[in-house]
Amino acid sequence: MDELDLTPLDDSSGTPGGRSFRNPLIIGGLLLVLGFMVFQALTSARVFYRNVDEAVAERAELGDETFRLQGTVVTEPTADANGASVFIVSFGGVDAEVRHVGEEPSDLFEIGVPIIAEGHWEGEQFESTQLLVKHSESYVEDNPDRVDYELEETVDR
Amino acid sequence: MTATEESATSLEQTVAGATSSRFSQVFGTLTATMLAVFLLFALVFSPPDVSQRDAVRLFYIHVPSAIVALYLAFGITFVASIMYLRKGTDFWDLLAGSSAEIGVLFCAFMLGTGMLWGKPTWGVYWQWDPRLTSTAISFVLFAGYLAIRRLDLDPTVRSRRAAVLGIIGFLNVIVVRQSVQWWRGLHQGQTLDLVDSQLSGMHYFSFFLGLVSMTMVFGWLLLHRFRVAWLETQADAATLQTALAERQAEAADYTARPPDTGGPTTTETEGI
Repeated sequence: MDELDLTPLDDSSGTPGGRSFRNPLIIGGLLLVLGFMVFQALTSARVFYRNVDEAVAERAELGDETFRLQGTVVTEPTADANGASVFIVSFGGVDAEVRHVGEEPSDLFEIGVPIIAEGHWEGEQFESTQLLVKHSESYVEDNPDRVDYELEETVDR
Repeated sequence: MTATEESATSLEQTVAGATSSRFSQVFGTLTATMLAVFLLFALVFSPPDVSQRDAVRLFYIHVPSAIVALYLAFGITFVASIMYLRKGTDFWDLLAGSSAEIGVLFCAFMLGTGMLWGKPTWGVYWQWDPRLTSTAISFVLFAGYLAIRRLDLDPTVRSRRAAVLGIIGFLNVIVVRQSVQWWRGLHQGQTLDLVDSQLSGMHYFSFFLGLVSMTMVFGWLLLHRFRVAWLETQADAATLQTALAERQAEAADYTARPPDTGGPTTTETEGI
């Protein structure tokens, strides 16, 4: 005899036309990642750095705690006896001497550029292990020909 | 050929080549041409920046992809999600989902180009800076949105939950935008402003070309993704109709069958 096939049809579509995620682990994994990011947002990102004037004022409370120091480079780096780079940064009219012992900063590092140094106070000096260069939101075209032309005009006058 | 088979064949014929149209073909060609012109300006004609040198060229790709992902794609998802919650139609649901998919793609591209830009300028690929962290949260939120759309749930429940997340996800875009104003970070401030832009000359023009071409790419992808999603919905509905028709036919066949040719007779069951 012919049997009536009552097997349910395979509905693998889940959502219009797409395959369904049968395993909620993916959602769980995304929630974990999201939780980690929110934690980072509430800790590292919330107070990303202290300006030089604030860090100098809070030097006693900060002790040897690791934090990020922000200021503008005002002197050329010089190498000390141990090969570390030493330079001065400034912000809010307050200077701080930075002694950098970590990896070389990016090529944008120069006098007049704001930097963020990660490290801690060692007495009066800030011992840095990482140097990040903040770049400006302004962009200026490099047109060497135009500058030369203007210089020629000036010289001619 | 039965009516259901004819229906399935008709759908297959409709689906074949149906995501393209004369308009989308012309639009696609224009988009490809625009992309080529943009790349020419971004990589060749545009001069380097006085401090960043050639790294500035990443700006033309990174910032337009950020605008397209965060404001355009996730913005469409936001509006379409609200409309879905109000009207409950497939159109708004599919539009929200299609736009979010492409938005996540652009968002990943934006994060990738940002990291590539960060190394030669900041000195690192990544830092948990407010702008970077909030952008990464946006990416994960919308990746979660896409995951929810694939859950095995009642389609209406699933779409409603996705719509709620689509709205919440876009609210985080406001945090992303304001992050450089509200908190201190490594990321530079706003370069583009309606009143006072920090770009000029060829830099501005190259960026503008980038924004136009990326918007066109987004539009073209959205057009096709939406059409695919719409056809998938139609195909699912047709599959269901076909299955129902088959079941009804089987049931009709079974009940119409004479009793003596069907199941066991009374005599046969007596001994059981």
